[in-house]
Amino acid sequence: MIQFTLNGQAVQTDVDPDTPLLWVVRDHFKLKGSKFGCGAGLCGACTMHVDGAALKTCVTPIAAMANKSITTIEGLGTPDALHPLQAAWHEHAVPQCGYCQSGQIMAAAALLDANPNPSSDEIDAAMAGNICRCGCYPRIKRAIQSVSENALAYDAMAQTEGRA
Amino acid sequence: MNTVNVSRRRFLQTSAITGGGLVVGFAMTGCSSTPAPLPVASTEGGWTPNAFLQVLPDNTIRFYTARSEMGQGVTTGLSTLVGEELDVNPLDMEIRLAGAHEDYVNPDFGMQGTGGSSSIHAHYLHLRQVGANTRALILEAASQDLGVPASSLSTDNGVVVHGGSRHPYADFIATAQTLNIEADAALKPASEFQYIGQETRRVDAIAKATGTAQFGIDVDVPGMHYAVVVRAPVARAKAESVDAENAKAMPGVTDVLEIGTGVAVVAESFWQAKQAAAKVDVQWESLPLASVSTETLRRDYSAALDAGDGVEGPVEGDIDAAMQSASTTHEAEYWAPLLSHSPMEPMNAVVRIEGDEADVWTGIQFPSAVPGLVSRVADIPAENVRFHQTYLGGGFGRRGTPSHLVEAAEIAKATGKPIQLVWTREDDVRHGPFRPASLMRIKAGVDEAGNLTAWDASRAGGDISPDTFRGLLPALYPWMGDSMVEGVANLSEWYFETFATDESSTEGLFEDYDQPNTRVTHMTVDHELPLTFWRAVGHSYSAFAKESMIDELAQAAGMDEVAFRLQNTQNSPRLNNVIRVAGERMANMEVPAGHHLGFAAHHSFRTDVAEIAEVSVENGKIRVHKVTCVLDCGQAVNPDIVRSQMEGGVIYGLTAALYGGLNLENGAIKESNFHDYPMLRMDESPEIEVVIIDSGTKPTGVGEPGLPPIAPAVANAVYKATGQRLRSLPLQIA
Repeated sequence: MIQFTLNGQAVQTDVDPDTPLLWVVRDHFKLKGSKFGCGAGLCGACTMHVDGAALKTCVTPIAAMANKSITTIEGLGTPDALHPLQAAWHEHAVPQCGYCQSGQIMAAAALLDANPNPSSDEIDAAMAGNICRCGCYPRIKRAIQSVSENALAYDAMAQTEGRA
Repeated sequence: MNTVNVSRRRFLQTSAITGGGLVVGFAMTGCSSTPAPLPVASTEGGWTPNAFLQVLPDNTIRFYTARSEMGQGVTTGLSTLVGEELDVNPLDMEIRLAGAHEDYVNPDFGMQGTGGSSSIHAHYLHLRQVGANTRALILEAASQDLGVPASSLSTDNGVVVHGGSRHPYADFIATAQTLNIEADAALKPASEFQYIGQETRRVDAIAKATGTAQFGIDVDVPGMHYAVVVRAPVARAKAESVDAENAKAMPGVTDVLEIGTGVAVVAESFWQAKQAAAKVDVQWESLPLASVSTETLRRDYSAALDAGDGVEGPVEGDIDAAMQSASTTHEAEYWAPLLSHSPMEPMNAVVRIEGDEADVWTGIQFPSAVPGLVSRVADIPAENVRFHQTYLGGGFGRRGTPSHLVEAAEIAKATGKPIQLVWTREDDVRHGPFRPASLMRIKAGVDEAGNLTAWDASRAGGDISPDTFRGLLPALYPWMGDSMVEGVANLSEWYFETFATDESSTEGLFEDYDQPNTRVTHMTVDHELPLTFWRAVGHSYSAFAKESMIDELAQAAGMDEVAFRLQNTQNSPRLNNVIRVAGERMANMEVPAGHHLGFAAHHSFRTDVAEIAEVSVENGKIRVHKVTCVLDCGQAVNPDIVRSQMEGGVIYGLTAALYGGLNLENGAIKESNFHDYPMLRMDESPEIEVVIIDSGTKPTGVGEPGLPPIAPAVANAVYKATGQRLRSLPLQIA
C-alpha cells in the first residue's frame, strides 16, 4: 500500500508499484486533467507537481511517490477559482486544442513558484520540455509574462490560496 | 417540437455558389421522409427550436456546435455567428458538442465533417440565419405575450427589451414553440455587428486551462476495460501466428484477440494492457512493402517522373512552344517526405455495445462515419448507434480517419465489455495514415519582360483520396458488402492511377501565377502505404516546390522576388494585394547582421497568405527568429483566433520544415516517438506577427492556409544566408 497526498488529501493505492503516477491519477483516482502524450517523458502533457516541483509523471513509478505531496491541474485551480495562470490562459486565448495545456500550466506554475520574474530565456528553458502541436508557444510565453510582470499580485493571490 | 423553417432552397443556392456544388446529402430536418430525432439533451420546460439551440427555463442559451473542435476555435466562431443574430454573447452561452445528425451536415461537404478549413465559410450565413430566425420567433412570441407591437421591442444579450422593462428570452418560450416562421428573418448589416469581428476570448479556454474539457481519452464508463493493439510493423500485414501466453499471464489482462489490424490486448487498466502488449509474440506475413525503404520511394518516384507517362492534369496553351520561346528557363526537383500528424492526444475511442444498441465516445472529424462503421461491426442498426462527440486533442486531418473506431468496436463486440482503445505514441508515429511523400519537378519559362510564360509541373507519389475513401465507404454505403467495398476502393485507386489526377495530389502546384501556358502531370506511385489528409493537404508540399521555384526564377531572371511575384499575379488580385502588403513590410524591416529574409506566398482554402521568415544559419543550424504573416481571409469573425491559427500553422509548418520526416526501412517506419520524430519547442519558436487585411468579404479558411508558405519562406531565406538552394524537406544545410 502506497500512501501520498493528492491535491491536499491523504490517499493510498495498492496498484502495481511500477505503475506510473499518471495512470494511477487518471485511471484509479479518475482525475483526467493530466494527459497521456508520449509515455516516455518527452512531451510534458502529464506534468504534475511533486512536492512543488514539476515532474513528468508518465515515467514516474508510483512506488517513488510514497509520502509525497502531489498536485494536479485540478488542485491548482477550478473554473470558479482560477489560478492566476489559468486566468491568464483565458485572457490571452492560449489554448487551441487544449490537450497539452494542463501540463503547460503545471510547468509554468512550478517555474513561477521558484522564480516569480523569469526572463524570456528562463521561460524557454523551463517550458522546453512541454510540446504543443497546435503551436501556442508565443501565447504561453505571453501569458506567463503577464503573470510574472505582475509578481506582487501573483504572490498575494498565492498566499491567499495557501500555495506560497 | 417546432422547427425553424430556414428555407432549404436558400441553403442550396448559397452552398452551390460558394461550395463548389458539393451539396449532395445536405438536408434539414423535415426534408427527409423520416427525420431522425435530434441528439440533444431533453430540457424540462425548455425549447429546442432547431438542432443548434436550446433555451432553458433559467434562460440558459445552449448552443450545439456541429463542427469538430480540434483547436481551430470553431466552437467560438460558430457560437459567434449564431449569437450575433440571436443577440446572445457567445461567452454567455452553454456550449455542447453535437452528436451525429443530418442537420449537422457541413454544407461545403454534404456530410457531417470538419476539414478543408471550411467551417466558418460554410456556416457564415447558415448559422446567422438560424440565430436570426430563432430571435424572430422569440420577438413574435414576446409581442403576443406582452400585447405590444413587435416593432416596439428590441433585444439585448438574451433579454427582450420593451421600454424600461427587460424580459429574459425564456419568458416567451411557451408561446414561441407554438409559432412557425414564414420567411427568413433579415440578417444584420456588418455595420451593426456586436460580436463578429470583435476581439472576444475563446469559449473553451477556461475548460481547457483547468483540465475540465473532456477529450475522448478522458471518457470513463462503468466496467470499462482498456485495449492496446499490437500492430504489424509493415502496414496491412496480417498475423500468421500469435503467441499470447505470456501476455495472458500478465496482471489485469482479461482478453487477447485478433482483430482486423493486429492483436488486441485487453486489461483492467491501460498500463496493464500496454505492458502486456509488449509480451505478445506475432509472426507477420511478408508483403511487398517489406522491401521498400525511403530510398526506394524517391528512386521509384524519380523513375516515374523520368518515364513521364503519368495522368495529365490541367493543361492550358502550348507548353512546348512557350518553353522554346522563353528567354529564361529553369528546372528543379523538390522532395517532401512522409509525415505523421502526431496530435498531442493519441488516437482513442470508447465503444460500449449492449444488446442491439451502442454508444461511441471519441473526438472525430467525420461524425457521419460513426453510426455506419460501428453498426457494421456490431451487427446492429445504424440508428441504434449513439455518437458522443468530445473535444479533439488535435486533428490536423488525422482524426478524419476512423479506423480506431472500427478497432474499438471489434474488441467491444468480441469481449462483451465496454472498451477504451488507446493508441500509444509509438502506434501513432509508426502506423499512420501518413502525409504522402512527394517528388515534384517544375520547369518554367520567363520572357524578357519578366513575365512568367510557361509552367510545366509534375508530381510523383501516392494519392490521398482513395485511401481515405476506402475507410469511409463502409460507413457511407452501409448496403455494400465487404467485398464490394474493397472492389469499389480498388476501382477508385485505379481511376486515379490511370484516368484523372486526385486533386489533393497536385493542388497548389500551378494555380497561383498568371502563366498562359501550363501543363500538370501526375504519376501515382503507390507502395501500399496508408495515406491521408495532413494539415493543408497537397498544399503542404506543393507550396514548397512552387514558391522555391518562383524564388529561383526571379533570381534567374534578375528580378526582385517580390516584384516578380507582383508582376505575375495580376489575375489573382487578392493574392497580389497580400504580396504587395507583405512586400512593403519586408522592404522596411530592420534586419540584424547575419539574419536574412525569405519570402513566400500561397493561396489555399480560399485564403491568400504571404510570409516573411527572418532566418540565420549558425554552425549549420537553421534558426528562425521571426515570421511575419500577412493574410486576407475575408471577414475575420474572431481576429484573435485568426491570428492564433496563423501562429499555429506557422509552427506546425516549421516543425515539418526543420525536422519532419519519417523514414522507411524494410517497409517499417524507423521513428517511434518525440525523441526521433522531434517537434518544435518553445525555445525554437519564432516571434510571429500576423497582419490581417480586412477585405470585408465572406470569410474564407484559416485553419490551414498559414502553413504552406512557411517552408519555402525559410528555404528562400536560407539561400540568401548560405547560397544553398535546399530542395528537400526537412531543410538541412549541406
